[in-house]
Amino acid sequence: MKSPGSDAPAKGALSGIKVLDFGQMVSAPYCAKLFSDYGADVIKVELPAGDAARDVGPFPGDVAHREKSGLYFINNTNKRGVTCDVTSPAGRSLFLRLLAWADVLIENNPPGQMAAWQLDYASIQAVNPKLVMISITPFGQSGPYSAWHGYDLNAYHLTGASSRYCGRPGEMPLEHGTFSADYFGAISAATWGMAAVYGRELVGGGQHVDVSCAEAIAAAFIGGQNIGGYAQDGRFDKRTGVGMPQGAPATILPCKDGHVWMLALEPGQWNGLRKVMGNPDWADLEIFQNMKTRAENADVIYSFIVEWTMQHTKMEIQEKCQAVGCPITAVYTVAEAAEQAHLKARGYFVDMEHPELGRIRNLGGPFKLPASPGGPVRPAPLLGQHNEEVYGEVLGLSVGEIEVLRSQGVV
Amino acid sequence: MNNTLPLKGIRVVNFGWVWAGPVVGQTLGFLGAEVFKIESRARVDMTRNLPPFAEGKASPDRSLSNHACWAGNGSVSLNLKEPEALQLAKELIAKSDVVVENFGPGVMERLGLGYEALREVKDDIILFSMPGAGLYGPMKDLRTYGLSLTSTTGLDSLVGYKGGDPIPVENAFSDPYAGILGAFAVLAALNHRRNTGFGQHIDFSQQEAVMQMVGPAYMDYALNGRSGGPKSNEHPLAAMAPHGVFRCKGDDRWISIVVGSDDEWHKLLAALNHPEWFTVSEFATREQRLAHIDTLHALIGEWTAQFDDRELAALLQSRGVAATPVLNVGDLLDDPHYQSRKTFIQVEHPLGFKETIYGSYVKLSRSEVDVRPGPMIGQNNDYVFRELLGLSEERYRQLIERQVIY
Repeated sequence: MKSPGSDAPAKGALSGIKVLDFGQMVSAPYCAKLFSDYGADVIKVELPAGDAARDVGPFPGDVAHREKSGLYFINNTNKRGVTCDVTSPAGRSLFLRLLAWADVLIENNPPGQMAAWQLDYASIQAVNPKLVMISITPFGQSGPYSAWHGYDLNAYHLTGASSRYCGRPGEMPLEHGTFSADYFGAISAATWGMAAVYGRELVGGGQHVDVSCAEAIAAAFIGGQNIGGYAQDGRFDKRTGVGMPQGAPATILPCKDGHVWMLALEPGQWNGLRKVMGNPDWADLEIFQNMKTRAENADVIYSFIVEWTMQHTKMEIQEKCQAVGCPITAVYTVAEAAEQAHLKARGYFVDMEHPELGRIRNLGGPFKLPASPGGPVRPAPLLGQHNEEVYGEVLGLSVGEIEVLRSQGVV
Repeated sequence: MNNTLPLKGIRVVNFGWVWAGPVVGQTLGFLGAEVFKIESRARVDMTRNLPPFAEGKASPDRSLSNHACWAGNGSVSLNLKEPEALQLAKELIAKSDVVVENFGPGVMERLGLGYEALREVKDDIILFSMPGAGLYGPMKDLRTYGLSLTSTTGLDSLVGYKGGDPIPVENAFSDPYAGILGAFAVLAALNHRRNTGFGQHIDFSQQEAVMQMVGPAYMDYALNGRSGGPKSNEHPLAAMAPHGVFRCKGDDRWISIVVGSDDEWHKLLAALNHPEWFTVSEFATREQRLAHIDTLHALIGEWTAQFDDRELAALLQSRGVAATPVLNVGDLLDDPHYQSRKTFIQVEHPLGFKETIYGSYVKLSRSEVDVRPGPMIGQNNDYVFRELLGLSEERYRQLIERQVIY
């Protein structure tokens, strides 16, 4: 039997795939990072002004510096970086030469902007019919909102997700404190785009992969659980502010040093929790022996449980409850998650040397491929760091030609 | 457009259950793979019993949410407690490319379906495992539900009203997220197999996959030692203001508004009816708006409360300001944008009723995705056992009678 262990030094799973990342901020750069972290050759093309993420931070000591943005650092690992002013004829023609080299273009510019640059799919297809063009925008390439201006927050709140699942009734619906719509769009785009690359010969060429961040969430998160019932019965639900209104306990509760995700629905879980709480008398009441009647008396049961949780730390509660089979977990702060022994034991954190930021501990790849390791190895590029290397080696331009482009402000 | 999908010819055996695992199969299925969920009436998946049901008739084959979340998968019914069922599963795997599962670590081994056992029937098989916290490590056996898994990543600590306690997200955002990203991991392994001839066993920790979303806040910890907390709908990295959700006219109607630059700020000013209070110097620059964000947001909220959410969003968009109405579930189906993009589609179920599920939420310019509702239990039994595995009519009938195929 063949053994992967006998193979030559393992290459990344996506080695051989050539990608241009012509995106900014989160969605397209994170999508392209999924390719670069698993072995594709990804060239990040920035306008001379640079990816807007360079202006966002977080910055060390909150001092803005275009080469020290944490957001840029985390979403652009393993990429080479070039600058190209596509607004000039010389820059556009340079960009088209990169497109002819590439298998994949990943971008998140407004559809109207790509058209204004004559870089819409029709123009690009004419240059490289085998290219897979992945466009990730808040609203997509078609439909009445496709010309709308939008950021991550605008996309997220168009999905029903906040109204349905996050916030107290009647109060402001909430996103998740991160770029949830951008990330959801990015992973959808990477998957569908990668399939288009994988099956390119089979389907007869490249294609345009049109991802709307809002649509992906409205469909796969909200639609999946809610749309069939609404279409049939005309009824729908809204946020309650409680983790799970139809069963209890199932919500986030405060404890001595923070919060826990309190969850004990099945009889075995509930009995386990009772035992860990020291079998208090109140827990023997008949109304508390069923998750539904517990939910009907949620205020009462939560106030009893909180009396107990406030005496204990989140890790104590997690460990004791898990030991009796309850799926109760600590609500880890970002700092606690960043120092979690489990994640460290799995090698989830990767130390990297960055020319401006110094030694920084980064998050590793999102999954482990034993036969073809992935994850970030090289830090995000400085602005235009690989201009000579890419334009010279990939496009075959001479030092003189690159110098001319530089003097014209193209690179 | 043509009917060829990019993953045509790839066969997937999906032991995934509940939501995340079936979404891996769905994603690969939408893209052209032939996907068979292995399940059994001996232990019906709990999502098959979730109401509401088609025409209100409760049945494991009539759950509307199940049909949407499992669309793209086929179904083969095997009671894996029976040795012959296990053998048939292996025969199917021998003719497949990918096996998907989202049990806890070690369960596949106990079933006799661990990676080494699968390699014996298919040397280059790709086994995709997606346990909550990975296949190894001190917390590998941590019990979580999809909606609480995010608590172990730092993500939940960021959700809530500014300065308040964390607010739970009331469903598992991480399930479809990990399911779709999981399909990317499978595609990466398929590409590796194409490059080298080797399969592998993918260790996909849902915790680690979802924690990538914490990246921006994580960097503030890595660079500055700070651990963030809930801040309503403000910008995750405090880089834009205004950046929020504001009350509109009507019951529970809201609008999201983001101003990303001074230019957009001036466009918002131009759209306001009574801009006196906006011209005060404390809002002139991004830094000043961020420094006075609570006052700024309160003033904007007073203004937006006079307007209908959709009308105001259209007005602001016409002036170049990023704004959207905050939709609720009841708004989605009739929304002109989602209608135009066919985000939700009505389909005919083999049992004869019509139902609404989500369609191809990504648009491919060349390949046309054909979305059908999630399968009835054992929907593909005839095809798999008779045609693919070549069972005789008599043995097939016996196995059904003995509830091996069940």
